[in-house]
Amino acid sequence: MNSIANRFTTTGPISELRKAQSHVEDDEFADSAWGSEAGFGSLAKGVPNFTVPSVPDPSAFLRLHTDDFADPNCRIKIQHGTTTLAFRFQGGVIVAVDSRATAGSYVASGTVKKVIEINPYLLGTMAGGAADCQYWETYLGIHCRLHELRNRERISVSAASKYLSNLVYSYKGMGLSMGTMICGWDKTGPAVFYVDSDGTRLKGDLFSVGSGSTFAYGVLDQGYRWDLTDEEAQELGRRSIYAAGHRDAFSGNTCNLYHVKEDGWKFIGNYDISKLHYDGPGETPGAGYGYDIRIERNAAAAAPIAVPS
Amino acid sequence: MPDMVTLPYSSPATPQQRQFNPYSENGGTILAISGADFSVIAGDTRQSEGYSIQTRYAPKVFRLTDNAVLAVNGFAADGNMFVKQVRQRLEWYRHAHAKDMPLRAIARLIQTMLYSRRFFPYYVYNILGGIEEDGSGAVYSFDPVGSYERESCRAAGAAQSLVQPFLDNQIYFKNQVPQPGHPHPQHLPLTTVIQLVIDSFTSATERHIEVGDGLEMFIVLAKGSPLYGLENIDGVQEMTVTNEGERIFVVRRNLKRD
Amino acid sequence: MSIMEYNGGSVIAMVGKDCVAIASDLRLGNQALGISSNFQKIFPVTDRIYLGLPGLATDVTTLRETFRYRVNMYTIKEEREIEPETFAHLVSSTLYERRFGPYFIEPVMAGLSKSATGGYKPFIAATDLIGCLNFAKDFVVAGTASSKLYGVAEGLWEPDLDADQLFETISQTIMNAVDRDAYSGWGVIVHVIEKDKVTSRTLKGRMD
Repeated sequence: MNSIANRFTTTGPISELRKAQSHVEDDEFADSAWGSEAGFGSLAKGVPNFTVPSVPDPSAFLRLHTDDFADPNCRIKIQHGTTTLAFRFQGGVIVAVDSRATAGSYVASGTVKKVIEINPYLLGTMAGGAADCQYWETYLGIHCRLHELRNRERISVSAASKYLSNLVYSYKGMGLSMGTMICGWDKTGPAVFYVDSDGTRLKGDLFSVGSGSTFAYGVLDQGYRWDLTDEEAQELGRRSIYAAGHRDAFSGNTCNLYHVKEDGWKFIGNYDISKLHYDGPGETPGAGYGYDIRIERNAAAAAPIAVPS
Repeated sequence: MPDMVTLPYSSPATPQQRQFNPYSENGGTILAISGADFSVIAGDTRQSEGYSIQTRYAPKVFRLTDNAVLAVNGFAADGNMFVKQVRQRLEWYRHAHAKDMPLRAIARLIQTMLYSRRFFPYYVYNILGGIEEDGSGAVYSFDPVGSYERESCRAAGAAQSLVQPFLDNQIYFKNQVPQPGHPHPQHLPLTTVIQLVIDSFTSATERHIEVGDGLEMFIVLAKGSPLYGLENIDGVQEMTVTNEGERIFVVRRNLKRD
Repeated sequence: MSIMEYNGGSVIAMVGKDCVAIASDLRLGNQALGISSNFQKIFPVTDRIYLGLPGLATDVTTLRETFRYRVNMYTIKEEREIEPETFAHLVSSTLYERRFGPYFIEPVMAGLSKSATGGYKPFIAATDLIGCLNFAKDFVVAGTASSKLYGVAEGLWEPDLDADQLFETISQTIMNAVDRDAYSGWGVIVHVIEKDKVTSRTLKGRMD
């Protein structure tokens, strides 16, 4: 009964799909290219089309020309290197990232935005290939909005992260490089999901991703508790990114700090990592995180005040 | 840059395989700097391959609309083709919407066009410069597969590692401590920016073999902004036809040809 | 990755009016991991000659000792201090001895040489890792940030800078260049060599 109705219906998603599909031509720029549908794919085409070289092994081709891990002299240097972290606690989710992008040993940029604002209550972090993260997390934002329109309620972090994870899994082996954390606050409370381009999807309390993640974990693991206050949690995120930015050559420049609460995310601030080393996060100079600075501070505090005899 | 590439060598016992290398590297450098209500986009005009110069005048900076200029660098064939395709999409947009595409929309468009070739990339480093809808100068820089960011100042190409740190010091005043009571200016005036661009290219020409021959600078001014002394610059030419809206000027200079 | 990038580090030397300056960063790393923010790469050879050794850290130590030995032998035999030009050729031949298994260092030298009239003439030189000498008149650079150093130095240097101006110029050059290099940084040290004194200053740089 239902199938007859589906075949002859003129309204609803199935018929829209049929109508859109009838317009699709093989040519790269169909009518949909005129409007705004061309970028992320139209309804009919589903996921965007990608030009693939007609060689026997396309992923080997891509690896040959772009993979700078295997061959540092490759022509196309895709920007890499990073530290990102996210953890959930009683007051929501803290997301902290650095802002450096390196191409080989050259610091290509010190102002990269590695937190992608998917929508006002979902954040995604960027590690690995910047373009892959930016593109697919924007695409995720489109589908989160469609979910809201179809279901009249906000998408859960679990569903959003699963959407992304299944999407990149369909490109598994083709050379995408993405290690992202989808963070938000939904009906189940604050949530952080780690999703990467191998197809891994993990729910957890605390993650750090990137070349500097080991340094961040050191600080994060010893300072983490569920009942941190908002300020303590923000300080922990900042301090962890500082540790990674200081020690890791491929991380640094500035730290961007976000706090996700029940009503959405809030941008806390942008902190220069070198300034954190010398002066700390506040305005008072000398309150720095750096080892030499702290030793001097402790020595000055411990030394008795000289009393003229 | 060789036409054939040998697949990675595994061991002396296994056979080597060669395949056609679709990419080449044509050298050159581009740069863009934005001010409060203007944007300067410049590129040298030399096109080389290895140690040979293919031509002394091959433009790398192209006018897209009255408020957007795109500079492309890397593999010239991909660059020229990419500009053609961007111009085509902008023309379709103009027919569909009866207006020019705003700058940040062009930036997003360029991302999706580059990413559609994620598995066979355009070997092009793009810098888009122009005036935003709110009248501010803007520079967007892209990597070959589409990741992009809005910035104030960016150099790309063969001599990027020579030019960018110089610009960091002179535009952003990095590592410079201001005199007490005289903070660093937030935006620099147009004449200073043009001089910095010329100095950057003459320095890059000195120390990098793939940069030289000529310099082409596009200056985009916001609607209603004054000329800032542009009319006194030697050899300046206007490219815009209308009197309302943004204005685009071109300045050309010679660079050392050795 | 390249062996020259394993530990990281960069050096620059510049000529001024009756003075020279030589500067280096202070980072010692193990690829991406930073280990020391106090690794000296510039060493005094005589009162008026300073030698910078960017490259593989083990060779920095070895070459410093090798040159100390050779310069001491020179001083004993010649009964006078070695001149910068002569030292440069000594560096070149020492490196060429290892032509087919080189030291992974690209030395940079700065000094004041005695001129015929009894005054002092500024002198800088650099070699590649097998000893090819480069006697530049303006500045020489070496290390992982060499291309960045070329760019800024070419933009900022001008002839006949006095000692204070030269200090500012070389400081700005190296600070901005190493901020764009992942393998250099973690502090900067600058030595300004004049005919009667050498002023060494450690600069507060980015620690990331």
